[in-house]
Amino acid sequence: MGEPVDSVEALEERIFALRAAVRRAVLDGDAGRARLLRRDLSLAEQDWDNALDAQAAGAQPGSREPAPDRDDDQPSAERQQGDERRGGTLLPLREQVHEALSLLQVPAAPRLIATVHEAFYATSFPTARLTSLRRDEERSFKTAPFARPYYICAALAADFLSPSRGLLAISTWPMERRIIGSLSPRVDFLVAAINVAQAIEQIPQPVPAARALLARFAANVRGSSSASSAGRPSGRIDPQAVIRAAQAELAVHEDQDHAARAEAARRAREQLDESEQLFGAASFRRATAADKMAGER
Amino acid sequence: MSAPGGADTERRLAWLRGGELPQTHNARTIAALASNPGCARRALLDAAATRKQDIAEHAGFPVPFGMSPFALSRGVVFERQLKDDPGGLLLALLRETLNLDIAEVGFTDLNDVGGSPDLAVRHARTKAVLTGRPDQRGTLFDHPLLRFRVGGRHAYLEPDLIAFRHDDTFHVVEIKSFAVIDGQADPAKVAAAAIQSAVYVLAMRDLVGDTATVHHESVLICPRDFANTPLATTLDVRKQLGVLERQLSRIAAIDSVLAHVPADVSFSLDADEKGVPQRDPGDLLRDLKRVDANYSPECLASCELCYLCRDEAGGSTSVLGKSVREELGGIESVPRALKLARGDDPLPVPEDLQEAAAILRRAAGLRRDALGTAWAQTR
Repeated sequence: MGEPVDSVEALEERIFALRAAVRRAVLDGDAGRARLLRRDLSLAEQDWDNALDAQAAGAQPGSREPAPDRDDDQPSAERQQGDERRGGTLLPLREQVHEALSLLQVPAAPRLIATVHEAFYATSFPTARLTSLRRDEERSFKTAPFARPYYICAALAADFLSPSRGLLAISTWPMERRIIGSLSPRVDFLVAAINVAQAIEQIPQPVPAARALLARFAANVRGSSSASSAGRPSGRIDPQAVIRAAQAELAVHEDQDHAARAEAARRAREQLDESEQLFGAASFRRATAADKMAGER
Repeated sequence: MSAPGGADTERRLAWLRGGELPQTHNARTIAALASNPGCARRALLDAAATRKQDIAEHAGFPVPFGMSPFALSRGVVFERQLKDDPGGLLLALLRETLNLDIAEVGFTDLNDVGGSPDLAVRHARTKAVLTGRPDQRGTLFDHPLLRFRVGGRHAYLEPDLIAFRHDDTFHVVEIKSFAVIDGQADPAKVAAAAIQSAVYVLAMRDLVGDTATVHHESVLICPRDFANTPLATTLDVRKQLGVLERQLSRIAAIDSVLAHVPADVSFSLDADEKGVPQRDPGDLLRDLKRVDANYSPECLASCELCYLCRDEAGGSTSVLGKSVREELGGIESVPRALKLARGDDPLPVPEDLQEAAAILRRAAGLRRDALGTAWAQTR
């Protein structure tokens, strides 16, 4: 079985080299040489297909174990990765959270993040794992500030600029969006409802989880479904109706909420250092019992 | 509420406590005060703020009190489901129940102050927010920390939620995890929730003073049927407020109870430096029994000393519940009631028991007729 493996790998190297040669020829404007190289490339790809089929046929009668998953080659088989493979995605947790938050466009609680990810990306994760995520991100930021393109960070309570309990946000959002004032929970709920409804409109066949999510939003926005009683969604929901109803209510709160958020954001930018701007003012926080426990762990 | 008596009263209560620090009350213990207003033993133990659970255990009647961890976690999950999304489900529920205006959506988290869980700081913040200008007050307040004076000491109370309506009324919102099935909930649990809400209403009235009114109608949010879908209902707690106020004034007037208690009675456990009780259990039990109790089966739901009192009340009519005891008029013991019914009491029936005895004899006659020969066998 050793021989075909070698030849497959040799072919992969050859394909790679040929692609580079084709690229160089095209960029040089040498059409004749490019054509010849392209023919060689397609031949090599055919050979690669055949060699792989032969190898697979050779492996079949024996046992299937020697044909390993690609991931198992990576020695750093973290616990986390095991979970994700079962869930059907290879993305790290923070990227899944980023996907869900990017869809919602507002700070959200772990449960909602998990539900949104399940509805639109077909995979879910236990919310318990999100509790340590923000702390990990904070640690990572402190060791190497801005080394990552984004961080999963905190939403800040408008009054004391401390991290708002249980809400996650993305560091690249403007500060105003990450501030939680008195009206913000409702405003964010309405914005999330609009964004979820818009996302669902673009899917030809929404999965039941997505429809359930929209129904949950619709049940709690007045006038978005005909038979709505709090928490009791019924029937199929029209995304456009949800968007219209949410926008109508949003208009009532938007200005006041925006003013409060802008004012707090200005304070945050003036008073907090870079790390605090992302993860919340730490003045009171250091003394809390929960943090002491976290430190001992 | 004024402090109970003077220094003399305080000294006697401290003596009853055995020199230990007084226990702080919470909504549950304050609510329990109101459940049996006629019980001197309970009144005294509460006024002295003793560790009732430890006392009951040391006297040989431990109670398996405390909530099951499953019930606790169910309660936590249910509350989090609502609070995780304060701008969604919770608001929609309260809009329906309290007719909130569309603009009334403000949500203020008072669980901590800038990350500090310090009780005094949280209470100060709660007071500042709740007594602020009405137009800047917001609508929903998550876990405000109220302070309430019981027996001369402050107790901190934490309602699940307070809602403020534009017509200047506050409503206490209680989130409970017992189910409302087909519109019906366990009456005992509803009663307990109502009295707890009443405690919060009193504490709120104390806090906001005249700046606004605290409505006597609380909102109770429970899971509907067998799912986790919440259902909000209003609960009129006026009756509970009355009971509570009367009972709290009794604590304030503990002097009159103390006057009937021998001076050498003490509920001290004589704990050593490791907190292990050293007092002779028999001695403690004797002292406990020197104060009158008023046992009824309802005590089993709320009082730490219930098993002791039930044991003591064995053979008396009060074990059968308040309604039976009232029906039997002044007859105190079960054997006496049976003798009167059969008419074979050798003693002459006293004047004040004549009526009850006649009713008992009549009931026994009816029972004899109904059971026929079986009656003879029961004798």
